[in-house]
Amino acid sequence: MTDNNNSMEMMEEDQVDPLLRQLLLLKRYETPVASRITKNKQNIMRKVREISHRKHWNLGDLLEMNIPWFFAEPRYGIAALFIVFGGLQFLGISSQKHATGKTGIYTSDNSIAAYDSSGGITATNSISYPQLPNNLELFALPSGGDGSIIPAGRLEER
Amino acid sequence: MVRDANFNDEAPQAEDVGPSDVDLVIQAQKGDVHAFDELVERYHGRIYGLTYNMTSNREDAEDLTQEVFVKAYEALPRFKGKSSFYTWLYRIAVNKTINYRKKRNRKRALSLDQFDQEIKTDEVYHDLTTKGSPLRNLSLSELQIKLNEALQSLSEKHRTVVVMHDMQGIPHEEIAKVVGASVGTVRSRLFYARRQMQAELAEFM
Repeated sequence: MTDNNNSMEMMEEDQVDPLLRQLLLLKRYETPVASRITKNKQNIMRKVREISHRKHWNLGDLLEMNIPWFFAEPRYGIAALFIVFGGLQFLGISSQKHATGKTGIYTSDNSIAAYDSSGGITATNSISYPQLPNNLELFALPSGGDGSIIPAGRLEER
Repeated sequence: MVRDANFNDEAPQAEDVGPSDVDLVIQAQKGDVHAFDELVERYHGRIYGLTYNMTSNREDAEDLTQEVFVKAYEALPRFKGKSSFYTWLYRIAVNKTINYRKKRNRKRALSLDQFDQEIKTDEVYHDLTTKGSPLRNLSLSELQIKLNEALQSLSEKHRTVVVMHDMQGIPHEEIAKVVGASVGTVRSRLFYARRQMQAELAEFM
């Protein structure tokens, strides 16, 4: 059926008056003035340069130009996003572990942390606390054998 | 010099002497305006030919040609290369021209380019004007006006296919891609457009 239609159309096309075809071909001899065409091209090129200078490519355009496959095949783009996201997550976890192990200021018993002008943090010796006797008591034990505690108001009554 | 050389003949020649359209488009997309200049040089004649024959007004054709290339430059980042550059450019040109005419809402006076003197050496012209043709008593300018009036009497869709096929030599398949219709529809439009033009020019045929 389609073939029949095509062949009919071909026949119809062949039936075009040859005079009309020749007349239409004569229009090809209509030629613009060369100077006007040159000026027109110059106008186009000037306009293009104006746009080029003015135009700040937006992020979408830049991405589209540099990674066209991302936009041409959205499924690959989404997959790539997942991979990047997963990678960042992994890096984040890894660096967190690393930080726990390395950072922090440690000093020996006799040292305190001090800032070193060279940029690092170093431990320096400082005054250490005096050694205290093992039997040191900050408060004396109650004496007099009376272990009862008298309320404050009754002291005056006595 | 004949402006609208055959569509199929001109494209390969243009690509043989320099970088391909694809290379130029990629460079222009990266911001190389000289690459876009080369594309303007390459396709200016054909786009001007299309807009001129669609409007029969050279001032409108110049404005439209400029608008087409500027629009193409602005839209270049979104050009994916699914069709060839000239098909894409022609699509912009056809849409711009049709919208331009709709905005104007009424026909402009004809403002025609001069016939090249080479026409007098053309066999077809010689046959038309010297033998028993009704055109023999018609001056060149009268013939030009009659032709353009007949062309402008067509609807936009019909004029588009006549200009692209009969004047610019673009094959049906390419026209179908440009106008977004089937090849059958293009052939059908061409048939009715020619019939209408024959009716318009009946007194000379």
